[in-house]
Amino acid sequence: MELKGKKAIILGDRDGIPGPALEACIRSAGAEVVFASTECFV
Amino acid sequence: MDMENQRRVKELAEKYPKEDLVVILGGAEAEASGLAAETVSNGDPAWAGPLAGVQLGLKAYHIFEPEIKEQVDPAVYEEQVSLMEMVLDVDAIVQEVRSIREQYAAW
Repeated sequence: MELKGKKAIILGDRDGIPGPALEACIRSAGAEVVFASTECFV
Repeated sequence: MDMENQRRVKELAEKYPKEDLVVILGGAEAEASGLAAETVSNGDPAWAGPLAGVQLGLKAYHIFEPEIKEQVDPAVYEEQVSLMEMVLDVDAIVQEVRSIREQYAAW
C-alpha cells in the first residue's frame, strides 16, 4: 500500500503517538492529511 | 473510538472514494489500536457511535507497521516516533492491527 497520493485520517493517542507526530510522518511519506486528532483511548 | 471521531470518519468516507483513504493509528496498546481499526472497517464494536453497524471497510495501519514506517522520512520518524517505539509493545500492536485489517478491510 503506497501512502503517496492517499488521503490520510490520523487517529493519534495521547499515551502513544499523538496526532501531530503522526501527521508529520505521514506528510513526509507523501500522503495528504484530511483529518487528524489525538484521542485518549482510556 | 470517541463519538466525534467516528462522526468525522463517517463524513470523510462519504466525501472521498474509500479506496483513496487510509487510517493511521498511534494507539499505545494493542487492544485499543485493534478496536479503532475495527471501528473504521467493520463498524463500532460497542454499538454506541455513528459507526455502529456501518461497515466502511477502510484500511487502518499503525504507524509502527513496517509497511508504513518504511515510507516515512527516517529523520522525521526518529524525531516523532522512535522514543515511543522503544517503550510500547510494538509486536503485539502490529499483529493486532494487521489481523483486524486482514479480516475487515475491503478497499
